[in-house]
Amino acid sequence: MNDIIFLIINGITVASIYGLIAVAVSITWSALGLLNLSYGFIFSFAGYGAWLAERHIYGEPVFVMFMGIAAGVVGGIMVCLLVFIPVHDKPNFTIRGMIGTLAVSLIGGQILLQNFGPKAKLLPEFFGYGKIKILDVTLTADKIGIICSSILMLTIVVRWMKSSRRGLEIRAMMMNPHAASIVGIGVRKTGIYVMAVTGAMTGLSAALLSQTYYLSPFSGLTPMIKGVSIALMGGLGSVKGAVIAAIILGFNEALTTKFLGGRYVLMTQFALIIIVLIIRPRGIAGILDKAREA
Amino acid sequence: MSDIKTKKRKTWKNPLAVWGAKGGNYEVPTPEWKNPHQIWKDTKAFKVPTTKIGRFHYEYKSSNHGEKIWNRLRWWPTRRTILWTQGVYNRKSLKPEKIRKDKRPIFWFLSLLALAIMPFILPDGYKNSLLTAGGIFGIYASINLCWTLVIGTAGIFSLATYAIVGMSAFLTTWLSINLGLPWWMLPMIGMFVGLAFGVIIALPALRLDGFYYGLLTLGLNELCRVFITTSHAFGAASGGLYGADTFINDNWAPMAQTLVQYYSGFALLIAALFLFRFVDGKRLGRILKLAPEKKEAFAEASGVNYKRARVTVFLISSIALGFIGGFYAAYYRGSAFDIFSFHTVIMGLAMITIGGIGRADGAVAGTLIIVVLDRVLVELGPYRYIIIGLIMMFTILFLKNGLFGIRKQFRDWRDKKKGEARSSRLERGGEMLPEQATEIDNKDEIYRKRYDKMQREFLKTLICDEIIEEHKQKPLGQHSEALERVCYYFRRGAMNDKYVVKCEVPFKKYKIMALSGVRGRSPRLVEDKIYDTVEAAYHGLFLRRIQDLMEA
Repeated sequence: MNDIIFLIINGITVASIYGLIAVAVSITWSALGLLNLSYGFIFSFAGYGAWLAERHIYGEPVFVMFMGIAAGVVGGIMVCLLVFIPVHDKPNFTIRGMIGTLAVSLIGGQILLQNFGPKAKLLPEFFGYGKIKILDVTLTADKIGIICSSILMLTIVVRWMKSSRRGLEIRAMMMNPHAASIVGIGVRKTGIYVMAVTGAMTGLSAALLSQTYYLSPFSGLTPMIKGVSIALMGGLGSVKGAVIAAIILGFNEALTTKFLGGRYVLMTQFALIIIVLIIRPRGIAGILDKAREA
Repeated sequence: MSDIKTKKRKTWKNPLAVWGAKGGNYEVPTPEWKNPHQIWKDTKAFKVPTTKIGRFHYEYKSSNHGEKIWNRLRWWPTRRTILWTQGVYNRKSLKPEKIRKDKRPIFWFLSLLALAIMPFILPDGYKNSLLTAGGIFGIYASINLCWTLVIGTAGIFSLATYAIVGMSAFLTTWLSINLGLPWWMLPMIGMFVGLAFGVIIALPALRLDGFYYGLLTLGLNELCRVFITTSHAFGAASGGLYGADTFINDNWAPMAQTLVQYYSGFALLIAALFLFRFVDGKRLGRILKLAPEKKEAFAEASGVNYKRARVTVFLISSIALGFIGGFYAAYYRGSAFDIFSFHTVIMGLAMITIGGIGRADGAVAGTLIIVVLDRVLVELGPYRYIIIGLIMMFTILFLKNGLFGIRKQFRDWRDKKKGEARSSRLERGGEMLPEQATEIDNKDEIYRKRYDKMQREFLKTLICDEIIEEHKQKPLGQHSEALERVCYYFRRGAMNDKYVVKCEVPFKKYKIMALSGVRGRSPRLVEDKIYDTVEAAYHGLFLRRIQDLMEA
C-alpha cells in the first residue's frame, strides 16, 4: 500500500511539472491558434538561464528559480517575435506557425549545443533535503516543493487570466479571435502576453525538472511531448482538462510502473490517450462541436 | 488673367474672310493663347517608364510543320499524349504555332536523366561520398513522396511516417537475423508490417481532425522510439539493430557496392514517383481534390465518399512506407534508433516544407537540398542544422507554399502590382489604358479618345475671362482665335447630352435642354432658368459647356 501511495505521489510530482507545459501548450493553442512545438527549446533555454544565474550571479535557490522563470519569459517572447508576429496573418498560419516553431527549436538547440556542449548540467536542490512522515508515508521536501510551486504558478496564472484586463483580452481571443480583434484587442500584443506567461510556466517546469534530472540542449523534448500529450487528452484550450489529464496520466504512470513495469508506461499512456480521444475527439474538457478556426 | 490684359494684344487672321461673310473681318484682336502643337509634342514626349503589356509575350512558341496543327504523339496504347500541346494561330501573322501547355514532364525527364548519368560525370575525388549521399537521397525522397501522399493528397496531418518506416525496418531486421530471411523477402514482409501499423494509426484518424491527429502521431513516434530502445530484442548497444541480409555483396569492389547502392536508391525513387502519380493523379486523387479542407460537407453531399478515399490513400502509403522500411533494412543491414528521433521528424518536415507541401516536385527538391546540406557538407558541423533551420524560417516567413509555390506567388504579386499601377493611372481623362487597349479591336477608337483628351487639355488653357466676356457681347459671328477654337469644339460634340436652346415663347422665353442622343427619346430639361433673349440663352449654354469642360 505504501508503495502505491509513494508511486502516486511520484506520479503527481511528475504530472505537476508536465502539467505546467501542458497548460502552456493549451493556452497558446486556444488563444493564438499557434501549435508551439518549441517549448522543448524554451525549456532548455530557461534551464540554461537558471544554470548561468546560479553559476555567475547568485546561488540562492529562490533567485535561481526566479531566473529560470525570467529566462522562460524571454524565450517565449523570442519565439513570439520570430514566428507568431510575422506569420499570424498569413495563409496556412497553423501549419506555417508549427513549422516555424520547429525551425526555432532546431536552430536554438544547435546554438545551445554550441555554447554549452553536450555535457549534462545539474541545478542545485531548491527545497533542501528535509523529510516529513505522514501516516507511514515519507514525503521529501523536494516533492512537496515541486507540487506546491507548480500549483502556486498555475493558480497565479489562472487568477491573473480571470481577474486582470490582460487576462480578459486573452480569454476573449480564446473565444473568438476575429471578434476580439474587431473590438480592439491587439492580436500581436496579446500574443506577446500569452507567450510570456506560457514561457514563464515552461521556465518554472525547466527549473523544477532540471534539479531532479539533468539539463542538456535537447532535454526539453520529452517534457514537451508529454505536455503535448496531456494537453491533447485534456482538450486543447482547456486549463481544467489539462489538470485532470495530468492527474490521470500521473496515476497511470504510477500504476503501470507498479504492476507492469516502467517500460510499459508510454504504451499504457498512449492507449489511454487514444481511447479517450476516440470517445471524445476533442479531449476530456474540449468543446465537442467545433475546432478553433484561426 | 490680369497679366494677359496688360500684354500687347495679338491679332487673328480670319481665313474665311475672303468669302466676304457679314462681319467676317480679315483681322480681329485675340487674347494670349498657347500654340496648339505644343500639347501634341508634350503627349508624344512620354516620360513615364513603360512596361510590356499583353499576356504571355515571353512564352516560347514553336512553329508548326506544315498544316498538321493537331498531330500528336501518344503513349501507346493509351490516348494519353506525351506532352500537352495546344495548336494556336498567331493573331498577327496567322501562322500556326504550338504551345506546350505543361512543361513539367520536360523538367522531370531532364532532372531524372541527370540523376541517372550522375555516376559517370562526377569527379573522382567526390564520387564516393556524393554517390552515397545520392542513395540516401533516393530513400528519403521516396519516404517523403509517400508522406506527401498522406499530408497533401489525403489531407491527414500525420507525423508518424518515419515511425512506420522505422518499425518496419526493425521488425524485418529482427526477422532476418532470427529466421535467416533473404534480403528480397524484407521489403515484402515490410509491406505487411506497414499495413498493420497503418491500420492501427488510421483508426484515430477517422475521429480526430487536423492538428489533434498531428500531435497524437508525434506522441506515437516517441512511443515507438522508447519501445524500441528499451526492449530487449531490439535494444543493442550499438545504437541500432544490425545484421540483416543485404543485396550488396562485400566481396565486390567498393565502387561497385556504391554504384549498386546509388542505383537501387534511384530505382526506389522512380517507383515512389510512379506510386505518387498513380495515386494522386488517378481516381483517388481526383476524389480527394473534390474534398479539400473545410469543403468536406460539399463533397459528401455530392456523393463522394472522401473518408474512405482518405483511409485508402493512407493505407496505400503505409504499405509503401513499410516496403521502404524493409528496403532500408536490406540496404543498411539494419537500422539505427535515430530514425524515431524528433530530429528526424524535424528534418523530414523541413524537406517537405522547403519544396512545398503536397507536390511531388517539392518533396523531391526539398529532400535534395536537405540531403546535400546534411550529408555532403559535413565539414560545416552543427552549423548545417542552423542553416537548415534558417532556410525553414525563410520558407515559412516569405513563401506561401515552398520553393515550387514561388511561381504562383510571384504571379499573384505581379497581378496585384498591375492592379495598383492601373488604379494609379486611372485619372487620364478618358484615355484608354494600355491593358484595355489590347482588348479593343477597333483601334480608331483608341486614337479618337487620345486625340479628344489632348484637345480638351489644350482648350482648358484657352478659357479666360476675356473670351467669356467676348462671347457674352456677341454669341454668334466672328470671334477671336481662342474663342473660335473653343466654339468649334463645342459644336462638334457628340449628340448625347448635347445642350440645345429651346424656344418657349419666341423673343420672350428660352430654356436650355440636353439631347438624349437616342432616336425617339425626348430631350431633358437641364434647368428651370428662363432667358429673355436668344443671345442670353446662347451665352448660358456656353457657360454650361465651359463648366463641363473644366470639370471633366
